[in-house]
Amino acid sequence: MTAATPVSPVAQVSGLTITLSRRGTATQVIRGLDLQIAPGEILGLVGESGSGKSVLGLALLGLLPTRSQPMIAGSIQVADTDMVRGSAAAIRAVLRHHLGVIFQDPMTSLNPTMRVGAQISEVHGDEAEAIRLLSEVGVSDPELRVRVFPHELSGGLRQRVMAAIAVSGKPSLIIADEPTTALDVTVQAQLLDMLRDLRDELGCSVLFITHDLAVAAQIADRIAVLYAGRLAEIGPARDVLTRPTHPYTVGLLKSRLTLATARAEVLPTMRPEAAGVALRLGGCPYHTRCPLVLDVCRAEVPELTVAPLENADAAPHLRACWRDLADVRGLAAHHEPPVAQSPALARAADQPAVEVTGLEVTFRPKSGARRAAPVLALKGVDLTVEPGEAVSIVGESGSGKSTLLRVIAGILAPTAGTVRVGEAGAQMVFQDAGSSLTPWLTVGELLRERLRPLKLGRAVTTTRIDNTLDRIGLPPEVARVRPPELSGGQRQRVALARATIIAPAVLLCDEPTSALDASLAATVLNLIRELRAELRMTVLFVTHDLAVARLMGDRIVVMTRGTIVETGAMAEVIAAPGHPYTRTLLAAVPELEARR
Amino acid sequence: MTRFLLRRLGAAIVLLLLLTLIIFVLQTISPGDPVRAYLGVNASPADIAAKRHELGLDASLPVRYLKFLLNLLHGDLGISFRTHRPVTTDLSDFLPATAELVAVAFLIAVVLAVLFALSGALRWRLTGVLRGLLLLAATAPPFLLALGGIVLFYAQLGWLPASGQGADTTSPTGILLLDSLLHGDLVQFGAAAQHLVLPAVVLAIAPAVAIGRVLRSSLDTTLTADHIRTARAKGLPELAVLRKHVARNAVGPGLSMGGLQLGFMFAGTVVVEQVFSWPGIGNYLAASIPVADFPAIAAVTLVLGAFYIGVNAVVDVLQALADPRLNA
Amino acid sequence: MTITDDPILRRRFGRFGGGSGTGASTSVNYALVGLLVLVTLLAVFARVLSPDDPIQPIGDLNAPPGSPDHLLGTDAIGRDLLSRTLWGIQTSWFAALAVVASGLFIGGLIGVVAGVSGGLIDSLLMRFTDLFLALPGTLVAIAIAASLGANLTNTLIGISVVWWPYYARIVRGEVRSLAARPHVEAAKLAGVGWFRLVFRHILPGVVPTAIVAASLDIGNVVLLLAGLSFIGLGQAEPAPELGADTARALDQLLAQWWVPVVPGIAVLLLSLIANLGGDAIRTLLAGRR
Repeated sequence: MTAATPVSPVAQVSGLTITLSRRGTATQVIRGLDLQIAPGEILGLVGESGSGKSVLGLALLGLLPTRSQPMIAGSIQVADTDMVRGSAAAIRAVLRHHLGVIFQDPMTSLNPTMRVGAQISEVHGDEAEAIRLLSEVGVSDPELRVRVFPHELSGGLRQRVMAAIAVSGKPSLIIADEPTTALDVTVQAQLLDMLRDLRDELGCSVLFITHDLAVAAQIADRIAVLYAGRLAEIGPARDVLTRPTHPYTVGLLKSRLTLATARAEVLPTMRPEAAGVALRLGGCPYHTRCPLVLDVCRAEVPELTVAPLENADAAPHLRACWRDLADVRGLAAHHEPPVAQSPALARAADQPAVEVTGLEVTFRPKSGARRAAPVLALKGVDLTVEPGEAVSIVGESGSGKSTLLRVIAGILAPTAGTVRVGEAGAQMVFQDAGSSLTPWLTVGELLRERLRPLKLGRAVTTTRIDNTLDRIGLPPEVARVRPPELSGGQRQRVALARATIIAPAVLLCDEPTSALDASLAATVLNLIRELRAELRMTVLFVTHDLAVARLMGDRIVVMTRGTIVETGAMAEVIAAPGHPYTRTLLAAVPELEARR
Repeated sequence: MTRFLLRRLGAAIVLLLLLTLIIFVLQTISPGDPVRAYLGVNASPADIAAKRHELGLDASLPVRYLKFLLNLLHGDLGISFRTHRPVTTDLSDFLPATAELVAVAFLIAVVLAVLFALSGALRWRLTGVLRGLLLLAATAPPFLLALGGIVLFYAQLGWLPASGQGADTTSPTGILLLDSLLHGDLVQFGAAAQHLVLPAVVLAIAPAVAIGRVLRSSLDTTLTADHIRTARAKGLPELAVLRKHVARNAVGPGLSMGGLQLGFMFAGTVVVEQVFSWPGIGNYLAASIPVADFPAIAAVTLVLGAFYIGVNAVVDVLQALADPRLNA
Repeated sequence: MTITDDPILRRRFGRFGGGSGTGASTSVNYALVGLLVLVTLLAVFARVLSPDDPIQPIGDLNAPPGSPDHLLGTDAIGRDLLSRTLWGIQTSWFAALAVVASGLFIGGLIGVVAGVSGGLIDSLLMRFTDLFLALPGTLVAIAIAASLGANLTNTLIGISVVWWPYYARIVRGEVRSLAARPHVEAAKLAGVGWFRLVFRHILPGVVPTAIVAASLDIGNVVLLLAGLSFIGLGQAEPAPELGADTARALDQLLAQWWVPVVPGIAVLLLSLIANLGGDAIRTLLAGRR
């Protein structure tokens, strides 16, 4: 590949193939990859888990784990040093002077037994420099903060400390591997701002690795989409986001739920695939999931070529796909069928499905003999949900939204206040479906447990279980299987089956999709919407994501610090938020529009 | 930190009290009668009653327990049925030899443990054999190791002596290694060291493996920790990564295991000292058991138990110093 | 599994296990578990398998191993060492199993009660358990056994008194971690009653951990019992017992080494098989999960 840029790139990857071994089986994780990072640019590297994006990041750092016996073909040049075949000392010199890194998990990526300041100034500078760097990454009271240990800081602050370490050597390239994934949305937005500011001030480049196109859209100048170790496409961020040229990118864009997702349509989903399949097959790695697949896709790997785009302005837009651009565009314009609508319920005026008044919950943290002040998880919450209504509760971690749900479910006793739930009781779908199913009981046993109070006959019970599984899209054989043998999506279906085998007065959903991949999440959301229409169920949906809240609720309730700050019809809350906190949340939702 | 120290000290005191209570209860239900031990089997009932009163044995149980505690504080642990001497005197005669044995054995254990852990975690070559041998040896009963050692190094090779401490004169501190060094008596020092090697190694093996395994798994965990990746990404040389980032984070579990094993070693001396005729507290205990010399057994349990509790308290404090998250 | 995460508990469990698996194949592991069964059978039929009466002097004095009538030789008064060793294995193995079973029972009961009830009962029971755990167990066992009178029953009582806290901690920890899992809350919501919740949704998850803990512990108890028997806290003469037989024949070591060494080797084999077998059980159960 020839670089068209006049300035030499900070990092150049050519013909890179990386093979890693896990338990004796070797897998090509990166396959024939070419990539340049230009000085001062932010390159967003987007891919699902297993796409090889983190491996690429570690390879650039020369830090591939030796346990997985990496075998590397091709070359990686950073600051004119060969990061593959260079001497250990040369690679360390590059790490010290040219590279900075921010890893995903701020909780584990800092040394727990070393003061923050010492970690920042370990290689470059002194405590004064550490203080300066801390204030540069936006940490208040840096003079105090240099003396603390990581566990005394919040997640967002720790990630800022990581950033301070990353920029301490005035690097020419910062590699940020999912730096915001573990953070709350508002903190996430602040961190993205900070990264961009750092780039503007220091003029360094950033390789921003993420699974979320919308996050990349917020920060990247260029976006590279990685699928199964190969580039699907790479081009200017705005181009990739608005005029995607690869069916995979189209799929990613459509399954990313945003405030603009069509609410009346079934949510677009991508064909799921067992992890690693694409790495074993020949041809285009995406061909097993591609809705536009041709015979040639199964046989030959498409080359990365310049897409014939109308506006040939700055950076070139490359794609690796056999289909014509027009076909991909057609896929992007395709609309999904309308969502099933729940027939308007004849409002039975007698009883609300859920009625919560003056609810308070206090946790008394138990940490050894130290008496910590009790934490008010909920303070004075009132909420009424009418039968058939769908209400979304939005809030960040610590807002009390899950606590509220657990009180309504009756798992947690309130400190004060009253909770009334309709006669059929509440059922709940948990965040992690896998762990909400008893692993050593079969699906059939789990479902039968809910029917026990009805004292039905054996035959009736079996029929009812089969019908419920069928409604949820699972074959009756699943009844004999134990949860660990099911896939993540199937487990979430089983959890839904258990919750709805007897229609509950209200279905409580506690972030049921936050542990799932984007396309799987859409499938589960579709299912909940279908079930709601079919069973005329009341749904209370808790989420941290306003975009999801908008799709799942007719009414939105916004919570922060244990109180409800805003409640209103969905459209009004989104269009004209009344409370400043709602506005912050709205502003923090990553949108697929490229910035500026 | 002060708070942590006070709490840990409080816990240790509670434990000591519990230990004394257990010993006291055992003493009251023990079939051996101290009065008969004093007066012999032919004493008249009146003499026995008088002696019971004199010893305070006719008082109520709580009073007797308080008296027992008071005596303890004054260093009065009773009279041995077997030696007819105050147990405190016996202990002060025998404790130094045991202290010497355990100290040396613990040093050996720590060295072996570190070798064991490093060879496993850093995958050094040729150390697999050493690790295998250590593991096998740790599965064997210590007395078998001792016998094997005597047969091999004393009877076959003639390199090492098989019994005793290696001195016919009593030394001022009772710790021969120390005395001979202080006097510059190298011959004596060499003899003392020779006598120490076998019992100390036998005593060290099981603790070495226990500490080594814990140290190894915490090394494994630490070496793959995210923050070590961060340290490497800074471009630090591997040695600096090990020294500044791995060591302090990996040492905690090894420390606590080391403390526990140091405590266990004192119990282990009972067997080892018996085989090697080591003139220590373990041998004293082993001699007391067959004749049901309860004051001696109780005193040894108390002294060694107190030491065990103390060591573990110190280890907890050390751990809190190493890891700032623990002293919250 | 939670056992090896806790440094205090780890001191007891597994000399071979922990850390990385040795990569031994499943069939090897089944073979090792088979050895455990074999030893148990040997212990059960020890009396039938013994060629001679272990207590009556019947042969030459101090016949070396490999003698025509006495495979492992005879001791100083002409008793058959093979018979004495077999009887000793029976005593040691059953005593070790009894100690582990009592620990599992007492500790398991306390652990389950503490874990299931939570709150005040939990913290009281665990404070109590931790106190016992922080005592020097071996020494207290020696003191108890010695003060009750030196014999095997009292030794077993002494060990059992200090042995249960480990199991209480493990079982309680496992119950708590299972009870905190969403599946228990989900089951509550599904209308499952208290009894069914404990016995169907919590305890089945505790069993594998408890089995692994117990099987890894047998070797430790074998060694401890042998050590206590060696210092005189076992069966009295002339009953055959592995540790005591070694101790009584110490002075013969240099003249007739086999008399003290044979019972010692029997202890080594028991402890080795127990450790390997326990580790195999853990690997097999871990693989199943």
